[in-house]
Amino acid sequence: MKLIEALNILKGLPSDAPKQRRVLLACGFTPLHLETYLGAYLALQDPEAGIRITTGLYGDLAGTLQSLDPSTVDHVVALIEWSDLDPRLGIRNLGGWHPRNLADIVESVENACAGLERTLLKVSGVVPVAVSMPTLALPPLFATSTCQAGAVEMRVRAAVVMLAANLSQKGVRIVNPQRLEEESPLANRSNMKGELATGFPFSLPHASTLAALLAALMSDAAPKKGIITDLDDTLWAGILGDDGVQGISWHLEHHSHIHGLYQQFLASLAGAGVLLGVASKNTASVVDQAFERGDLLLTKDSIFPVEANWGPKSASVGRILAAWNVAADSVVFIDDSPLEVAEVQAAFPDMECSVFPKNDPQAVLDLMKSLRAQFGKPTLTDDDELRLRSIRAASEWREAAHSEAENTDEFLKNAQATIQFDCSRNAADARAFELVNKTNQFNLNGRRYSESEWRGFLGDPAAFLLTASYKDKFGALGKVAVLLGTVRTQTIHVSSWVMSCRAFSRRVEYQCLKHLFETFDGADIVFDYQSTARNQPLQELMTKLVGSESRLSAARFHSLAPDLYHQVEGQVHA
Amino acid sequence: MPESMPEFELRLIRCFASVFPALSDDDIRTLDGSESGSWDSLSTVTLGAVIQEEFGIEIDPVQLPEMNSFEAFRAYLAEVLN
Repeated sequence: MKLIEALNILKGLPSDAPKQRRVLLACGFTPLHLETYLGAYLALQDPEAGIRITTGLYGDLAGTLQSLDPSTVDHVVALIEWSDLDPRLGIRNLGGWHPRNLADIVESVENACAGLERTLLKVSGVVPVAVSMPTLALPPLFATSTCQAGAVEMRVRAAVVMLAANLSQKGVRIVNPQRLEEESPLANRSNMKGELATGFPFSLPHASTLAALLAALMSDAAPKKGIITDLDDTLWAGILGDDGVQGISWHLEHHSHIHGLYQQFLASLAGAGVLLGVASKNTASVVDQAFERGDLLLTKDSIFPVEANWGPKSASVGRILAAWNVAADSVVFIDDSPLEVAEVQAAFPDMECSVFPKNDPQAVLDLMKSLRAQFGKPTLTDDDELRLRSIRAASEWREAAHSEAENTDEFLKNAQATIQFDCSRNAADARAFELVNKTNQFNLNGRRYSESEWRGFLGDPAAFLLTASYKDKFGALGKVAVLLGTVRTQTIHVSSWVMSCRAFSRRVEYQCLKHLFETFDGADIVFDYQSTARNQPLQELMTKLVGSESRLSAARFHSLAPDLYHQVEGQVHA
Repeated sequence: MPESMPEFELRLIRCFASVFPALSDDDIRTLDGSESGSWDSLSTVTLGAVIQEEFGIEIDPVQLPEMNSFEAFRAYLAEVLN
């Protein structure tokens, strides 16, 4: 982004927007154009919101962070440069590069890293923090030739790497140095003239790239959810119908290794909770035989559903979306045939459809990088690995329930369902946060939370976060329902309530309310209910329970609730 | 807008407008930092960066603080671009 574009974006920002994103940009240098770029990239994420960026004192990154009042910001962005770790590592300081100073520089860097780690972890306990580790080249102060990485230099770099690793492990988001290097090569990052004249050390392209990555780390946008892949000449090399089960390949010796890498990559995504489906023009029984091969890097268990037939790909894709119950814009379709890609794209304009570049290994690697960027998430939860099995179990439930529709109670009684409730104020529950921010259909009001709003809400001593995990004889669905609210006297105020569509028709919603009444000994529940364009299932329940009111008494609930057959387990944390 | 106005002057006005969004084109043409309350050292640095990027030139940091009006930038560009 050019600087003039960034300035023009900021010019168009609403000054009186009700939603303001308040960001502390903490750095030891003059933030100047970086502040402009950061504001512009944040504005692009949410054009309706205002942006308010505050900065700290020049040359005092640690002091800026230590003096922060976390209640005044929604995000903290910290840019660490070498001079913040020891001023002698910057070019605006003449503290001496004599070899006898080097040991002291190492010690100083290690101490500064330890101090920053303590401060940043403290801040990150209250507000989300994004950090950029030093991006500029170290000056030529070390005694070794610039061809050689000496022990002193390596110790300085190691201290920074350990700082990044320790912060990342505790949930602080770190700018990926490899991605930064790809987009802003080291040689093009600094602006010596500008740094000496104004204290701003970055070239404009580098400032823009860095700001874009930092803004991406602060984004609340949900990652995509599923990939639908073709098989022949995509998941493997060869045409199953022509070459046979033993004729398809994905190995170096067959010059088809790139397909093996693709399988390995998809298995990695599946392990991280990404849904994988197959849409292939093939005979289903032959596809089943192919998936029996023990050397496949992606097992059939990782894929659901497999649509192998001779109908249009778009019809297969439609059935997969229905089985997953996700929108087309959350899914990527991949096929080696441009014709098939065009056919699916025409049927699902919001879906990202990509041709698998089977003859270009570098392009396949680039495709995988692009997919990782779209499907990556800051942290993995136990539910991520469970997701596909959970969808498969829900599908089996629907089939069984459909065949026994005449006696629903009998079916539910025999399902051997267990609901595990957990009541806490645990803002670190990533699955609960994710569910609230992505569920549309069973959603009390459609409200979404930024990380800082979420933490702020649960910081209230009267707040509660009730989650429900579900399993039955068809399998475990994982964490399926979340209720967020406050309790004052005997009134339970529910601000958010979401439930995964996988848990529909199991009376989990009634068990949630029953548990809420019992846990808090409540006389009434008041709902922050709001109808939305997509929360029809919730609207139907609310009509049944409260009509046009927003308050539900315990007595009314017990008179309306159907019989519940779940075994209930519960934990309450202070 | 005068038809004879060189293209670079139009581009220069766009640069100024990004830094001084409240000013009209006419106000920008007569803008003088020594008389304008909205022009400060940050404006000079930002303008310098925008203009360098837009015109693909490098302004000597020593000269930059002296360029405190639209006319000063216009004259500098006219000389550098010719």
